[in-house]
Amino acid sequence: MQIVFFALRNFNRARTRTWITVGAMAFACAIMIFYASLLEGWLAGMEKNAVGMDLGEFQIHGRGYRADPDLYKIITEEGGVLAQLDRQGFVAAPRLHASGLAAAGNASSGIELRGVDLVREGLVTALNQHVWQGQWLAENDQAGVVVGRKLARILGLAVGDEVVVVAQAADGSTANELFRVRGILKSVSEGVDRSGFLMTAATFRRLMIVPQGVQQIVVKRQVPSENLDQATSRLSRLLPNYEVRNWRQLQPVLARLFEMSDISLVIMLLITYAAVGILTLNALLMSVFERIPEFGVMKALGFSPWGLFAMIVVESMLQVTVAVVLAVAVGLPLSFYFSHHPIDFSGFVQSSSTIAGIAFDPKWYCVVTVNSVVLPILFLYLVAGLAILYPALKAAMLKPLAAIYHR
Amino acid sequence: MNRASSPACIFLALLGVCFALLGLAGTAVSAPSPDEQEARAILFEIDDLWRATSSQGTVRMQVTTANYTRTLRMEIWSKGKDKSLVRIVSPLKEKDTASLKTGNTMYTYLPKTDRTIRLTSSMMMSSWMGSHFTNDDLVKESRLADDYDPRITFRGKREGREIIEFTLLPHQDAAVVWGRIVMTVTAQGHLPLLATYYDEDGVLARTIYFSEVKKMGGRLLPAVLKVVPTDKPGEYTELVYETMRFDLDLPESLFSLLELRRR
Repeated sequence: MQIVFFALRNFNRARTRTWITVGAMAFACAIMIFYASLLEGWLAGMEKNAVGMDLGEFQIHGRGYRADPDLYKIITEEGGVLAQLDRQGFVAAPRLHASGLAAAGNASSGIELRGVDLVREGLVTALNQHVWQGQWLAENDQAGVVVGRKLARILGLAVGDEVVVVAQAADGSTANELFRVRGILKSVSEGVDRSGFLMTAATFRRLMIVPQGVQQIVVKRQVPSENLDQATSRLSRLLPNYEVRNWRQLQPVLARLFEMSDISLVIMLLITYAAVGILTLNALLMSVFERIPEFGVMKALGFSPWGLFAMIVVESMLQVTVAVVLAVAVGLPLSFYFSHHPIDFSGFVQSSSTIAGIAFDPKWYCVVTVNSVVLPILFLYLVAGLAILYPALKAAMLKPLAAIYHR
Repeated sequence: MNRASSPACIFLALLGVCFALLGLAGTAVSAPSPDEQEARAILFEIDDLWRATSSQGTVRMQVTTANYTRTLRMEIWSKGKDKSLVRIVSPLKEKDTASLKTGNTMYTYLPKTDRTIRLTSSMMMSSWMGSHFTNDDLVKESRLADDYDPRITFRGKREGREIIEFTLLPHQDAAVVWGRIVMTVTAQGHLPLLATYYDEDGVLARTIYFSEVKKMGGRLLPAVLKVVPTDKPGEYTELVYETMRFDLDLPESLFSLLELRRR
């Protein structure tokens, strides 16, 4: 208690130095809280774009389809599979896939045709809410298609334009039909942007002569908190005859990027706090050297070396605590503000920019998590604790007589 | 899955095999050996055999795959080395679908949508009309010759027949699909018997068998060509030339986009 009393008294003695140290720590901590929230926001946005937009949390294919996509490698009993998934607490949507050629005017380009189940797709992905121009697909508009943004640019398409599709149907014949652009998607992923050509499942089946079966089922957990790997195992056991992959397996580069981001946060914390650590070390060294005769007197009066050590540690931890309070008071409202008012990079980056093939949202939101607040605070305590060791030990080991006469 | 393709070329592809070989005859190479000279001379001869100044004929194509079997009949026209037109006669669903090749460009006319599409380079390795020929086979028919060097690699008796075997190796800077093409012709008359295509790793990718030699349009020609892909057991595409006429006076306008749309 005595130690705390002395520490509190010392806190207020050299006010300028104390508040400069506290200010530097508070500033660094507030910035790091804000930075960590930004990073969390960026990751959340990427994951939302990658998983929730198009990829789905899991994908199910017929054996060998992923290695060599083929119109004939299908999930034959999709009705049964979907019912099974529903019963087991998953939300699922079937998709049909084929390659083809789209042409408009003098331009033509290779496309990935996709037949979409309009009822189920919206339950699993948010693709239907990601239309840039025009409208999403509709059952009553069988000639209406939705295309990727880059594809629209390559073919010079606008909403309402006609586009011809040529593909090889399942019976070997040349499937060809005239469609009308109903909608153009916002940037989704490199693949969808460049070659995505979406139509209703019924239109796809008629065009490609695929009366039954689907090439892909995208799946989402009903309970998002369920562990991804456990859910993957559960799905694999449920559907042993098909290939089940979760989004981390489907997008390993992206998964690695997410893993790396935690490390990058720690590195940033260490770099920023290294400067704070040196400043704290300097301030505390100054305060120790300035008070050497005082410490000598304290020791002569019976203050133990560890008592002196503890007093200086408590003194600096008090400073850190005040800095943390200030940092939270500034950093948290700042982060919350930017969680509602995103930083807009639209002017600097292309609207269709992608990272690891996934669309990058130029509007950058903060997401405040326990991690984004606690980690910078813990690191500040750690760095300050390390910085205080040398001055505190120096004070603890002073010889009382020499210290009293120290000039 | 294979992408859609253009209609004019299956038979051309077959011819193309020969053309490719032949085309080499014209390639300027410094001081060829007598063997090379002979190889080129024979290829030139084969080239002449298939490539009259112009041709017209009817062809039946049967495609057998693991997933479907289909038969198409088509009418074909060619003029010189660079122009050819194929029009589907049956089945009814694809009637009047037509492919036009001029130089290195291919167009497909789709009667159902009344549209003509120019094929992009990304479509070149796609199947033509669901067969085991690619669009590239058709387009490259004349260029192949420019990209490969012929060499006689065997001369003698094989399976009771006197034959000559050529190996075509691509030029170092040639942008080609095949790493090697081996073609076998009869020693007498130099009629093609067999052509094997190897990929860049030297693995056999497909074989074309030429058979049923008969006289068509005043020329002795193999009437049946069968393409067998190595990686798809049991699958093949067979072309049967039903009629052929050569050295006709075909108008240039026949090979125009306007004519492509004629039904």
